[in-house]
Amino acid sequence: MKPDSPSLIPGQCATNEHQIHRRLFLKGLGGGALASAASFAGLFHNPVFAAETKKAQKHCILLWLCGAPSQFETWDPKPGRPGGGPFGSIPTKLPGVHFSSLMPHCAGIADKLNIVRSMKTTQPEHFQAISLLQRGSPERAGFTRPTLGSALSQAMGQLDSPIPNFILLDPIPGGNEFESFKAGNWAGWLGAEHAPVRLGGDYTQLVNAAAATIPQHDLESRETLRRFLTAKYERDRSSTIARSQNAAFERMKGMTASADLFDVNQLPAKDRERYGPGSFAQHSLMARHLVENGAPFVMVANGMNWDNHVFQHEIHQMLVPEMDRVVYHLVNDLEERGLLDSTLVIAMGEFGRTPWMNQARGRDHYPNAWSMMMTGCGLKRGVVTGATDIDGVDVIEKPYNEQNLFATIFTALGIDPYAEYDLPGMPTFHRVESKMEPIRDLLA
Amino acid sequence: MKLTVAHDHQLPAGVLGLALSPDGTEAFAACADGTLQAVDPTTGKAEPFAEKHHSFASGCVLLPDGKTMISGGYDGWLLWHDVATKRCWRRVQAHQFWNWQLALSPDGRHLATVTGQYLPGGWKYEPAQETEPSVKVFDTLTGEPVAAFSHGPPVLSCCFSPDGLHLAAANMMGDIKIWKLPASADGQPVAQWNSPDFTSWGTTKTHHYCGGIYSLAFSPDGSTLLCCGMGPMGDPMAGNGKMTWQRWNWQKGERLDQIKDGQHGTGLMEAIAWHPDGQHFIMAGRQAQGTWNAALFSAADGSLVHSIDTKKRITHARFTADGKSLILAGANGQPAPKNGVWPPWGRLQVYQVES
Repeated sequence: MKPDSPSLIPGQCATNEHQIHRRLFLKGLGGGALASAASFAGLFHNPVFAAETKKAQKHCILLWLCGAPSQFETWDPKPGRPGGGPFGSIPTKLPGVHFSSLMPHCAGIADKLNIVRSMKTTQPEHFQAISLLQRGSPERAGFTRPTLGSALSQAMGQLDSPIPNFILLDPIPGGNEFESFKAGNWAGWLGAEHAPVRLGGDYTQLVNAAAATIPQHDLESRETLRRFLTAKYERDRSSTIARSQNAAFERMKGMTASADLFDVNQLPAKDRERYGPGSFAQHSLMARHLVENGAPFVMVANGMNWDNHVFQHEIHQMLVPEMDRVVYHLVNDLEERGLLDSTLVIAMGEFGRTPWMNQARGRDHYPNAWSMMMTGCGLKRGVVTGATDIDGVDVIEKPYNEQNLFATIFTALGIDPYAEYDLPGMPTFHRVESKMEPIRDLLA
Repeated sequence: MKLTVAHDHQLPAGVLGLALSPDGTEAFAACADGTLQAVDPTTGKAEPFAEKHHSFASGCVLLPDGKTMISGGYDGWLLWHDVATKRCWRRVQAHQFWNWQLALSPDGRHLATVTGQYLPGGWKYEPAQETEPSVKVFDTLTGEPVAAFSHGPPVLSCCFSPDGLHLAAANMMGDIKIWKLPASADGQPVAQWNSPDFTSWGTTKTHHYCGGIYSLAFSPDGSTLLCCGMGPMGDPMAGNGKMTWQRWNWQKGERLDQIKDGQHGTGLMEAIAWHPDGQHFIMAGRQAQGTWNAALFSAADGSLVHSIDTKKRITHARFTADGKSLILAGANGQPAPKNGVWPPWGRLQVYQVES
């Protein structure tokens, strides 16, 4: 891998934060922590290192609106048009900009958000589109590109944090294309240590149950024996499978050690009430809590509940107000805690929905012209970029695709979007291919 | 009994509400573009009313004198229109959210309107409690509210008993409530029960509720209540629940019968109506799978008598007073615009009813 580009990309973090880690790493070693060097864990016992690392840590929360929300009932309303649907629009804090009337909270903080109204992608089917918007690039033969969470886990993850570097909160065990995607390879060539730790709903109960049923002294004994045996096995066999299993175990162990962070009931009651009672809202609050405690990347999903081929308006009337409230409180809470400047918040699905209604009261898949929201780390605030025509049928200004989006995300987080990889057994590839431009209107 | 199509008309936007003059020579359509249209059922000629709703127009009723039409909309407003001049002469805000459906008492004195937004009320997306009365009754002459009742939102359907002394309303969760009119001081229903057979909670793909009871009709003697909708689905986004009607003895909350196995397809049924002979009723809606989307059933044993496939979504079914014609209103799937022009997608069909 070639080093990150020396020239600063617009919006990239101007500080030497990436060097800070290396300097602090050496400082930790020079401070007599050589005994800990084998695992790096000792570094985090050094309070200077821990504090600086926490301060420099970037975060990303992806509100994954799987199934694909309607742009008309959210960020790009077309009231009064034949396909505009029954909900009106309301003015926002940005002059001349309107959101759906289902989003009064976000309308009130539009100056803190950025909206892209001109997403234009090519995949109309869920599985392929989920892959496209999770990996940021079409499939390419010869290797599997990691998903955003895995890429950020590798780029921003802490050395030996008990909190997993890629957390997926999703309470729904079964169901269609997203379930198929979840069963696939998230981390790609990065390997299993950057795959998500999945929690939420019943999954979290398993973690808590595991933590509660095994005594601490027993856990420690088991862990010592396991480390000895698996390290020996890995060394003797050079086994990729063993490494993956160990990585999975390490993540599980960290998760169990921080089980309370994943317990909705441990979150403050007032916060829980503010965010709302649904599982998506509660998990979004949990994401904030995890970021406060150092998690680099948290993805919040709720099955494929936005896929409203049937009862579009009957279900969006419930889903959109929940998302509106979640985005409002999440952005405000992060700002109040001084975390918004270091946390990128993204709300999007895998495409949009048709400007016309089908016979079943629904809107179908529509990648041609759709909207998403992103704000926080490395971005301006209060920007609405791109535009669609009067009926929302096509993009008429500044079309952006998934590669533009991922170039923006990486740049905003201070990660070289064009880093080149030349690894054994794989074609030469880049984090974002073809030097695709970031959405410069949004970059700070 | 058999249905034969006589006329098939297009309207600019999907039809969500339908009213008929008693002789069936005039039809009134509430449309998804907010407009109200007076339609000649024979020629299909449509004349819009002067005022439209600020959202979908969801229902309309014609007062017995034939001079006044009242419409409701997803804007929560009720509009009184003069049929002759097409002018709106009274506006009343009934709800903060949608009017889902309207019902007119048999004597034309009272108008019932139901509302409610589905909002998350719990971890499993149980509907939150209502923030305003979900069922209201207005005096059609004065426009004044005369009763308000509590229900679990969203309340999708309502109807009056033939004697006008009872009002029924049903919601997404399959809760059915019946009140006596005039309303008692405590506003409590005289009967209420739940049927779980119309509501879905997604288990495979999505965790929330959908569906519900989309239409209600008392039997001509007032002793039973028909409900229709769609059966539960594992994937609520599939729209392929069983086409369902159930008949209840409402005074006992006891189910008497339901659509028979082997006689249904799948899809949401939105309309149910009695034939004036009292011996048959029709259920209609959208077909996801099967062979029909509108069917006549025998009142005697609930068996299917005759069915048709109109190839469109049906939102309302009304027999003319003489029972010789049936008007079906609804929508096609909305076509994409061509060169910036949106093709029509509303439908109004007239069927001859043959014994």
